[in-house]
Amino acid sequence: MSQWMTLFNKEVLEMWRNFKWIWVPITFILLGVSEPLTSYYLPQIIKSVGGLPEGAIFEMPKPTAGAVLASGLSQYSTFGVLVIVLGTMGIIAGERKNGVAAMILVKPVSYFSYVTSKWAGSLLLVWISLFIGYISTWYYTGQLFDWVPIGEFFQSFALYGLWLTVILTVTVFFSAALLSPGLAGFISLALALIVSILSGALSHLLEWSPSQLTSYAGALLTGGKLPSDTMPASLTALLLIVLFLWFSVFLFKKKELAA
Amino acid sequence: MELLEGLNWGLIAPLFIIQLILLIVSFVDLSRIEKTNGPKLLWVFIIIFVTIIGPILYFVIGRRND
Repeated sequence: MSQWMTLFNKEVLEMWRNFKWIWVPITFILLGVSEPLTSYYLPQIIKSVGGLPEGAIFEMPKPTAGAVLASGLSQYSTFGVLVIVLGTMGIIAGERKNGVAAMILVKPVSYFSYVTSKWAGSLLLVWISLFIGYISTWYYTGQLFDWVPIGEFFQSFALYGLWLTVILTVTVFFSAALLSPGLAGFISLALALIVSILSGALSHLLEWSPSQLTSYAGALLTGGKLPSDTMPASLTALLLIVLFLWFSVFLFKKKELAA
Repeated sequence: MELLEGLNWGLIAPLFIIQLILLIVSFVDLSRIEKTNGPKLLWVFIIIFVTIIGPILYFVIGRRND
């Protein structure tokens, strides 16, 4: 356990060194907060850009606070996913390429600790960044529109966190399974995209798909009620996380022993 | 200028500050790092001239993480 903690601390320290602890949360804040700001100032933005004929009346229904927060949150399932995948694709593949992995693994470090400590470090970063970004979005929405109940905030936060964890684990898996960080990132992104589109299109068949967690979080914020399919979808997400993590340790061990 | 008066500066100002932090941090990182993807000078310009997105782009794709 103490060995695992050492590796984990190394991971956290490294993320300080390359400023991940600063830029990822800031990116998440800017991504989320831009949503309530632009929807609030949209009439002024349109006015300043111009192009409307004199005397044109442009009435826009004011969106509800829940809808604004939901669209702020949805930024994390697009740009947030992009940031996470591009930021973690090199996590194992990169270290193996430049030889750091070999340097660590000649010591009596188990493959399990090596992979899971890396995964846990990124997990911490993702959840903290998501929390900071999302709570600022919540605060800005509250200031400009209405306050969304904090209970709904935490529920939707947990659902999004779960989905982003699935993405993260898949990226770690491909990073361990493939030698190239670029390929790992590409495949993870493509997979996330395909799963999202498929489960969006076939939502009546794939209610349990983990990517549906994002639409359930949106439904909670706009409708105020959590769809009943949230439970199976969360369970699938948890199962996938465990499976992919296990497979990444397994594959990494196999590859590393073969190399 | 009329437009600027309508803004809630208490909400906008923090964003300027964190954007500034992002800018500074990306410069510190750029000066420390040995090699970037693409010429370093290019990244200097991207960070300065592409507001908000520039520094993020640098961290996401400009840094060599292998």
